[in-house]
Amino acid sequence: MTVTWTIFRREFASFFVTPTAYIIAAGFMLFTGVFFSQEFQVAAVRRIPINPATIPSLVSYMLVFFAPLFTMRLFAEEKREGTVELLLTAPVSEASIVVAKFMAAWAYVTILLGITLVYQAILATYAPQDIGHTILAYIGIWLYSGTVISIGMMFSALTENQIVSAFSSLLTLLILYVGDGVGGIIGNIQLSEIMRSLSLEAHYSTSFAAGLFRAEDAAFYAGVIVIMLFLTMRILESNRWR
Amino acid sequence: MIEVKSLTRLYGEVIAVDHISFKAASGEIVGLLGPNGAGKTTTMRMLTGFLPPTSGSAKIGKYDIVEDSMEARRRVGYLPERVPLYQDMTVFGYILFWAQLRQVKAPRDRTVDVLKRFDLLGRRDKLVRQLSKGLRQRLGLAQALVHDPPVIILDEPTIGIDPQQVIEVRQAVRDLRKSHTVLFSTHILSEAEEICDRVVIIDKGRIVAQGTPDALEKQVRANSFTLEVGRLAPERVLEVLRAIPGVASVKRRDAHFSVETDGSRDVRGDISGAIVAAGGELLEMKQVKSSLEDVFLRAVQSAADNPQGQKKS
Repeated sequence: MTVTWTIFRREFASFFVTPTAYIIAAGFMLFTGVFFSQEFQVAAVRRIPINPATIPSLVSYMLVFFAPLFTMRLFAEEKREGTVELLLTAPVSEASIVVAKFMAAWAYVTILLGITLVYQAILATYAPQDIGHTILAYIGIWLYSGTVISIGMMFSALTENQIVSAFSSLLTLLILYVGDGVGGIIGNIQLSEIMRSLSLEAHYSTSFAAGLFRAEDAAFYAGVIVIMLFLTMRILESNRWR
Repeated sequence: MIEVKSLTRLYGEVIAVDHISFKAASGEIVGLLGPNGAGKTTTMRMLTGFLPPTSGSAKIGKYDIVEDSMEARRRVGYLPERVPLYQDMTVFGYILFWAQLRQVKAPRDRTVDVLKRFDLLGRRDKLVRQLSKGLRQRLGLAQALVHDPPVIILDEPTIGIDPQQVIEVRQAVRDLRKSHTVLFSTHILSEAEEICDRVVIIDKGRIVAQGTPDALEKQVRANSFTLEVGRLAPERVLEVLRAIPGVASVKRRDAHFSVETDGSRDVRGDISGAIVAAGGELLEMKQVKSSLEDVFLRAVQSAADNPQGQKKS
C-alpha cells in the first residue's frame, strides 16, 4: 500500500513538473468557459433556468479529446525511457503500478472537474440550484472520466510511442462515444440497443445528467474500469514474456 | 550469493541464453564477459526478475528468482545498460523515490548518504535531464545502491562515458567488493581483467570459459613463445623446433619464430637444448604476454568450431 502511494505521488507530481498539466487545464477552462458564457447569456435573456448538467455534459464530450493527452504518457513514456524495467524489477506488484498510475491520472481529472464547480457557484448566485441534480451530474462525470482514463491507460501500456497511444485511445473513445448516436439511426432495434448499452455517453446522458441514479450505469463504468485495469496489468506482464 | 543453474531463455525460436550455470560468492566481483548479443543482458534481466527464464533456475541468496521473486528482487540492486531515469525529477527526488519504493528505513537520510557517496549532493536540486552522461551514470549507480542490497547487478556500466568517468565508475565498483556481491557485464576485456575476481565468458548464449583472470590467462600464456635464433638458417630452425614433442606449431616472422605448444609439457628446456645442439644460439626466448583477450578470442573461436548444442528444435 505504501508502495502504491509512493508511485501515485511520483506520477501525480509528474503532471505538474512539466507544462502539460497546465496547458491541458488552460485549454479545458477555455472551452468550458466560452461554452458556459454563451449558455448563461441565452438563459439570462430568455429568463429560463440552466440545466445543472450543462457543463458536465460538455465535459463528457471534451474528455474524448482531452483524456488521451494526459493518459498517453502513463506507460508509453516509462517504456521509452526504460524506467519500466526498474519498476518491474523492484519488489512491486504490477497491480500496485497500474492502480497508482490510474489513480494519479484520475486525481488530475478530478481537479479539472473541481475547477468547473466555479460555474455551478456562479449559477447558484443567480438562482437557487437543484443541488441533488448537480451532485449526481458530477458523480456521473467523475465515474465517466475514470472510465475514459482507464481506456487511455490501457492503450498507453500497449506501445512506447505516445502519439500511437494517444490516437488509438482517441479513436476508441470516439467510437464508444458516438455509439449511442449511431445506434439511434440503425433500423435493427436489438442491435441499436446493444450499441446504446456499450456506448460511454448513453450511461451518462440519460441518467446522471438527468439527475437520476441508476445502479446499472454506475456498474457499467466501474466494470469497464476494472476490466481495463486488469487488461493493463496483463499487458504489462506480457512484456516480460516476449 | 548468486547461484545460476542451467538457466535458459528463448525468444521465440532463438536461444538467447543456453543452459548457463555459474556462482558468485559473497563479496565477489564477477564479470560477465562477451561480445554484443552474447546473452549478457538477457541473463541479467532474468536474475533481476524482469524476464522469466524459459527453463533452469537461479537463486539470489536463498531465494529463487521465480518462486520467491519479491524476496529475490528486494536483495538486488540493478543498473540497466540504458540507465533509465525520470527526466523531470530532481536528483534528490529521483533517489528518494527509489528509497521509498524500496521501503528503506529513514529514506531521506539514506538518500543524502548515497548522493554524498557519489558526489551528487551538490546537485541535489538539479533536474535529471540537465545532468551529463557521466553524472547520470553515477545517479544510476546511486539508485542501484540506495537500499543497500547484498547483490548488485550492473549492465555495462562503463559504456559511453569518458575515460575519467570510466575510472571513477570502476573505482566505485571495486569499492563495493567487501560488502556486496557484484555481477557486472562488459565487452571490454581489460576492464574485466582489472576489477573482477572471476570472469565468466559467454558467447552465443553459452559459457565458453570461466575462472579467475589469472587462471584464464595462464591457460594461454604458458603455451606460446617467441624466439630469436642466431647462426642457423631459418629453415633449419623450423625443422629443429618442429621435431620437439609437444610443439604444436611454429611460424616464422622475419628474424623471430613464434612457437605454440599443445600445453602438455614444459618445452622451454627442450627448445634451448635442441637449438644449441643443432649449432645455433638462442638469443631470446620470450613468453608471450597474453591477456584475457587471447583467452576470450580462443574461447569464442573454439565455441564456433564445436557448435554442438547450438541449435535446438
